[in-house]
Amino acid sequence: MSRSFAMTLNVIGLYAIAAVLAGAFAAQLSLGELPCPLCLLQRIQFAMLAVGPILNVRFGPRASHYGVSLLVAIAGAGFAARQILLHVAPGDAGYGSPLLGYHYYTWAFVGFAVALFLLAVMLLFDGQFAANQKDEPPAVNWLGRIAVWGVITLTALNVVSTLVECGFDRCPDNPISYQLLKRLM
Amino acid sequence: MEFTGLFLAVAVVQLVAWRGARPLAVGLFAATLIAAVLTYLHHASDTLNLSF
Repeated sequence: MSRSFAMTLNVIGLYAIAAVLAGAFAAQLSLGELPCPLCLLQRIQFAMLAVGPILNVRFGPRASHYGVSLLVAIAGAGFAARQILLHVAPGDAGYGSPLLGYHYYTWAFVGFAVALFLLAVMLLFDGQFAANQKDEPPAVNWLGRIAVWGVITLTALNVVSTLVECGFDRCPDNPISYQLLKRLM
Repeated sequence: MEFTGLFLAVAVVQLVAWRGARPLAVGLFAATLIAAVLTYLHHASDTLNLSF
């Protein structure tokens, strides 16, 4: 795998992460379902998953950048697995609305598991790391720049959304209203 | 409040990864990941109501 092809795949990965963050936002706003604390932690892990690809796009592919993403995917899968187990008992309806038969945290677990698999596959190809000896930062095209700024913008929007949802206090376990708006009105 | 702080920290890490020095980005990333895991462990030891 060439260095430029690996960078293209990293840019595609950033678009996939942006799609996940945007989808979570869309579900929150359209269904009026506020994310619980554990749901927020999983969103945070999806946003952190973007750090590895951003480093790869900026400095060129390195094994350590994939390691960054692997650590995040392991933590994210662990958080999602805990939420699945919390609602695994018979008769428990789960938290939030299901999407295509599965709750968001189940989809999050699938997403982190897929990320782990794809990252492991990427690490199989040594050819992408050879050019790093020159230490030259790669040229980033406009598609790459849009992907990076898109993810950063969505993460910044989550800062605002979480502040409005939780206010300056502790986030409720089962949030049903935006705490900051409630306090201001 | 801690989740707002974590999202803010992630946004800063992403910005540093894109514009700043690589060692600083990796260091901030490590600190943010540890903070996220500690937040999880803190909440995981709470009484469970609905989702926690």
